[in-house]
Amino acid sequence: MLTPTLPETKPIKLSVRNMAFSYGTKKVLDGLSMDIHAERVTAIIGPSGCGKSTFLKCFNRIHEVSSTVNVSGDMLIDGVDIYRGGIDEVDLRRRVGMVFQKPNPFPKSIYENVAFGPRLFGVTDRSSLDGIVEDALRKAALWDEVKDRLKESATGMSGGQQQRLCIARALAVNPEVLLMDEPCSALDPIATAKIEDLITDLKENLTIVIVTHNMQQAARVSDYTAFFWLGRLVEMDLTERIFTTPRVQMTEDYITGRFG
Amino acid sequence: MEAGQEPPFAATGAPVLQHSRFHRLSDRWAHLAFLACSLLVVGLIGGILFFLASRGLAAFWPVAGNTGRTLSLSEVFLSTDWAPSSDHFGIVPFIAGSLGVTGLALLIAAPAGILTGVFIAKLAPTWMRNLMRQVMDLLVGIPSVVYGIFGLTVVLPFVSGTWLAEAPASGFAVAALILAVMIVPTIVSLSTDAFESLPTSLDEGAQALGSSRWQAIWHVLIPAARPRLLTAAVLGLGRAIGEAMAVQMVIGNNPQWMALMRESTDRAPFLRALFTPAATLTTELVQELPNTPAGSPWNNVLFAMGLLLYLLTMVLILATRRLGRGKEA
Repeated sequence: MLTPTLPETKPIKLSVRNMAFSYGTKKVLDGLSMDIHAERVTAIIGPSGCGKSTFLKCFNRIHEVSSTVNVSGDMLIDGVDIYRGGIDEVDLRRRVGMVFQKPNPFPKSIYENVAFGPRLFGVTDRSSLDGIVEDALRKAALWDEVKDRLKESATGMSGGQQQRLCIARALAVNPEVLLMDEPCSALDPIATAKIEDLITDLKENLTIVIVTHNMQQAARVSDYTAFFWLGRLVEMDLTERIFTTPRVQMTEDYITGRFG
Repeated sequence: MEAGQEPPFAATGAPVLQHSRFHRLSDRWAHLAFLACSLLVVGLIGGILFFLASRGLAAFWPVAGNTGRTLSLSEVFLSTDWAPSSDHFGIVPFIAGSLGVTGLALLIAAPAGILTGVFIAKLAPTWMRNLMRQVMDLLVGIPSVVYGIFGLTVVLPFVSGTWLAEAPASGFAVAALILAVMIVPTIVSLSTDAFESLPTSLDEGAQALGSSRWQAIWHVLIPAARPRLLTAAVLGLGRAIGEAMAVQMVIGNNPQWMALMRESTDRAPFLRALFTPAATLTTELVQELPNTPAGSPWNNVLFAMGLLLYLLTMVLILATRRLGRGKEA
């Protein structure tokens, strides 16, 4: 049994049942099942190449952008299948936002970066856009730093600011889920701490799934932790239990640094 | 040992290694040879400019060797009347012709080339991408006279047969079309490079926000590649403005085209202009330069036109450099 057993008051937002994933003939993920609760932070840890980023990208189908992939089993959002439930992928991506490993601001102004999503969905009115942009930047704890230079290019910001801008950009379309793919791996410790604080603030009304190779980070920010190994889910539990009393020996070996 | 001093080899007991005399000598010679070659190239380019300038400017100054009268700048650069046998040397029709035909060509080639670049870099399956790249590289190398033959024997008869039964079809429209076909491969190659050099994270980032493929291309990728796309267009423009052979074969070579336009009472003058036989700086040079006596005002003005072309191309090259630098800033 690989699901946590503590009483949980938050509903299940994302649900995965017997899911497998392959590129062509290469099977990358197999036999995955887990539940992800709303307004919780779920961390996915595991050694490089274990498929954790691939798994994350299945939730917004972003891997379909660059390659032909095959997903079997069920992946549900609010009980509706992401792949076969008739959800439009553009709508899916509006509901399931993503922050990438390396900050990827568009070569536009700070304002235009945040306004990009709302504009796509038809917001053209200047004052509504201004409101959305300010709100998103405040949520991403960036407003005070950039409010006087919204017209400046986003590529001139520091790496940490760029990543928070990317978070603001994702928040601007009011997503229900935020996927974060090693969001701090390109950042220094101070910028990392800011993003971690932000994650804790944001889970108030978001479901957050974060992939990280940094176990301290998983321990600091997440409520649940899932440990992946070679494309399979080894163990998933409340974070404090995973880090204190894991049930599987392999999890303990990984967490204590014996491999990985 | 003093800081910064290398320990002598001898101190370590190893044999002292030295280049032979021959090595040092041949290095000197190689250096001189490279220097001589580069000086030769620079000298040639400088020499051409000097030659063009001395002959071209002779139209406006009474210098030894001139056999006719000295012209004023305004009667050459501001007049549309080109009739050398009756002493009129206005080159405005050629300047307008060159700008018109290259502008039109770019209007066709730039959008087509850039969108093809997007297709090759971002949308085409791998096998097609490789094929298209090779085809584009081949097309860049086709001699312009081949495009000219195609225009003369296929496009012109087709256009006059289809739309303009009564008139010859030669003129800006067909010339621009042929030029566009000529420069499209250059623009495609460079814009494919531009799009391929963009990080995939931009594309992913846009689509992760809910952009469609097309919206990501239009709102993020094309703006991000803009400096390099401009460079591609300017390089295409540079190739188009200097092209003589292909254009000469289809444009009709009529230096009086502006006068003809003025007299026409057509209700759609722009459309009429597209199918009026015309001339450009390059076509006029090719047509007339061999038939004019050296030192005559006619001959000198042709050199002035050559000088003007040289300077125009130079400006375009400098503009490309500027744009190229803009992308790093």
